[in-house]
Amino acid sequence: MSNTMSQSWLLGRRALLEAVRTPESTIPTFFIPLFFLVVNVGQAGRIFPGSSTEFLHGQGYAAFQLPVSVLLAASFGSAGLYLVEDIVGGYFDKLRATPISRSAIVLGRLFTEAVKGAVVTLVIIVVALPFDVHIAAGPLGWVLIIVLTSAWCVVFSGFLQLIAMKSRNAAATQSGSMVFFPLMFLTPNFVPRDLLTTPMQWAAKFNPVTYLMEAIRSPILESDVDWAVVGKGFLIVAVLGALMLWANVSAIRTYD
Amino acid sequence: MGDYAVEATRLTKKYKTRGGDAVEAVRGVDLAVRPGEIFGFLGPNGAGKSTTIRMLTTLLTITSGVATVAGIDVAAEPSRARQAIGVALQEAGLDPRQTGRELLVLQARLFGLSAGAAKARAQELLELVDLLDAADRRTKTYSGGMKRRLDLASALVHEPSVLFLDEPTTGLDPDSRLTVWDEVRRINERGTTVFLTTQYLEEADALCNRLAIMDAGLIVREGTPGELKAELRRRTGLAEDPTLDEVFLDATGRTRTRGAGDVQEVGA
Repeated sequence: MSNTMSQSWLLGRRALLEAVRTPESTIPTFFIPLFFLVVNVGQAGRIFPGSSTEFLHGQGYAAFQLPVSVLLAASFGSAGLYLVEDIVGGYFDKLRATPISRSAIVLGRLFTEAVKGAVVTLVIIVVALPFDVHIAAGPLGWVLIIVLTSAWCVVFSGFLQLIAMKSRNAAATQSGSMVFFPLMFLTPNFVPRDLLTTPMQWAAKFNPVTYLMEAIRSPILESDVDWAVVGKGFLIVAVLGALMLWANVSAIRTYD
Repeated sequence: MGDYAVEATRLTKKYKTRGGDAVEAVRGVDLAVRPGEIFGFLGPNGAGKSTTIRMLTTLLTITSGVATVAGIDVAAEPSRARQAIGVALQEAGLDPRQTGRELLVLQARLFGLSAGAAKARAQELLELVDLLDAADRRTKTYSGGMKRRLDLASALVHEPSVLFLDEPTTGLDPDSRLTVWDEVRRINERGTTVFLTTQYLEEADALCNRLAIMDAGLIVREGTPGELKAELRRRTGLAEDPTLDEVFLDATGRTRTRGAGDVQEVGA
């Protein structure tokens, strides 16, 4: 296991370097979620003024929208596309021909995605702060939001890596990232769940992203962390994360 | 399995198509490559050369049969087998965003060298393949020949006993091709067994001690270039030794007729 971890670390460092050297693939990860934040707040901010909207707990509507943006940023998952590039270019086979654990090849990239997720989340929150947003739960809230978002980044990147290994095709992998959009819109992304229509409430109830979004939103809006809500978010990323890790490791071990 | 650097017995690979049909890409190949040889594996496109090399290098599962490299069963102990082999496949498998030096250091670390030893080994290999001047440039800026040489170097970081090269000079200009030939000879002189596939018959003639010609998933000829030429000359009653091209065409059941200035390939 320690061998797999040190090999994953070596390959993770390589993937980090790859991200640093390809700023053109990282910039949209910041730009598009911030664009969504500005547009969504611009459209609905006056309907929900912070002073008279109970579910905002005294903050601006941007605070309510912030989880949407950080989750969107965490769902770009460039790891899948980089993996396709490695497969098509032959570097993936080069790595498979080394005596390392094959799991390290996929785990290394997921490790990097967690780091990237944390950095992107931090930057988006900092950029949002001047727009009447603060993290009500304080430093613990910052940590919870960053850990949850990074974990989701690993889950979604794992999903895209799986598509990459199965399809070996950039277009198919890119299409896979579109899955997040219906998941995101079938959540309480504009208003809390109890204000949704009944069909939307049902859709949100069976959507795992709902619980993640609520878990991230809780420390932003509430000074006392609601552990029941946050716990569900962690449970979601733990279960889906375990599933994705298992699927990724199985896929690379049986890759032919 | 004896004391061969590479040995395969009834090696077979079947694929399932999307329609569910089975395609037999390699149909019971027997091979025995002696330590220290440069062994050439020839064949037309689709003959099964790359599939065979990918099975021997643990990159593809084996449907049936047995293969060993450096005495290690590649299916039973793939990780040990990978420690004994170096692989440079058809596409020079390089990360375009790493520099040549970074790529070699990482490759050496993945083969278990310490950080210091990996740096030293990278430096040694960059000198060997004459890439010191370009060592700190990203590989995406390298020419085709430089990429090939770096790929070769990366296959050598752990001083493998057997080096597999899948069409190492495809797409290279004549100058780069000759440079790669020199590297292959130099590597072989240091004691590494070289197993290479190629479509270039002059390459096989110039480099290889022994050859196997593969067609439609089967080995159809095997021997030294001299033996193969002598056999064809004897069998066909030619006045002088044929070229390796003629041996190849004979072995793969193809003939060439020249018409209107074009070379046409037709089934025999």
